[in-house]
Amino acid sequence: MRIIETILASFVVIAALSFTSIFVVTPTSPKYDTTELQKLGYNVLHDLDKQGLLARYVYSGQWDEAKAALRVMLPLDVYFRLEVRYTNGTIINTTPIVYGDSATIASSKDVASITYGLPGYSTRVDATNYRACYDPRLLTLQLVRG
Amino acid sequence: MKRLSKNKRGQFVIIAVLLIAVMIISVAATMHRAATYYKHEPWDEYSTLISNIELSSRRLVELSLANYTRTSNASTLRNNLAKWQTDLTSMYPGYGIALRYTLSEGPSSILGRTFNFDRGLNQSWGQRASFSIAKANFTLDVTSIGLNGYKFSVLSLVNVTVRNVLSASGGKLLINVTITDENRAQMTGLKKENFLPEGFTYTNFGVTAEYDQTYSLIYMIACEGVAGSPSPVWVRMWDSRGIHVRAKYP
Repeated sequence: MRIIETILASFVVIAALSFTSIFVVTPTSPKYDTTELQKLGYNVLHDLDKQGLLARYVYSGQWDEAKAALRVMLPLDVYFRLEVRYTNGTIINTTPIVYGDSATIASSKDVASITYGLPGYSTRVDATNYRACYDPRLLTLQLVRG
Repeated sequence: MKRLSKNKRGQFVIIAVLLIAVMIISVAATMHRAATYYKHEPWDEYSTLISNIELSSRRLVELSLANYTRTSNASTLRNNLAKWQTDLTSMYPGYGIALRYTLSEGPSSILGRTFNFDRGLNQSWGQRASFSIAKANFTLDVTSIGLNGYKFSVLSLVNVTVRNVLSASGGKLLINVTITDENRAQMTGLKKENFLPEGFTYTNFGVTAEYDQTYSLIYMIACEGVAGSPSPVWVRMWDSRGIHVRAKYP
């Protein structure tokens, strides 16, 4: 006599559990992954900057070296695209600094985007002269899990 | 009557299960809120953003000092920081970033020595212990996360001290120099291209770094083809940031 009630009750419980699963944020979910990628990207750029390498690559136009450094420091399954701009938005790197498929990065819904600023760089001009100028650059690093 | 009673028990089961379902959803919602409260604010991103601004401001002070030691233009730091203030807001739109700064002015005691700052900069050359120094204090606001009054200061210093000058036979002259930075740490990794002996004629010179019991690291500038015992001896030095110092002995 209570079979129908029991079935109904089971449905209610299953519905409740299904509803609660919507809220679950697991380490594999895209939301979690994007935040992790942002942290990763910031840390990589910050480490390169602290070592004085980032400014050297950017101001000397060593795009291949910048790409190689990012490939070494980021996990293999992370695709990236780096753009270097003036503060007015004009792109400086004529050679694309990309690892992975550009189409994948462009079409992915879960792209972690990191903005990083550099104020300037001092370079040696000759034996007794350095050029140290305020010349800011804006770096935009986009990361996607491959 | 009996049938109704049975039906009532069945309804009771459904009502009980409904209540349990409501409890499950309530507990799940509460736990979700507790677990994701801090995830809504990407704190790590903000902390790295603040680190980025702090590091960039440090770099700016250093390159301003390098520029000042080359041009003697004491407005360099102030001008650069004013531009940096404006550019930061356009670099990070939507964050509500405001960077304020104060430059050290007049006599100030740092690392047990008094420096006389002019718009955050000072250089004292032509002595046995010569230096170039810059100091600025910053206050950072990031209104989008409610951060107000985050303070940090940047000190950049290169101190070159000529410890002694030794003349040797065969026209050789040995100049022993120690170089310290703003942390009072001996500067490492300097090479021949970072130094230039001046004030006398020589044919060639070389630089070696040696461990010293007193100063821990000492740079020995060995000049060849020197006539007599020159005095005074000048040493020009540039560090990897381009900061320049000229020291004189005696």
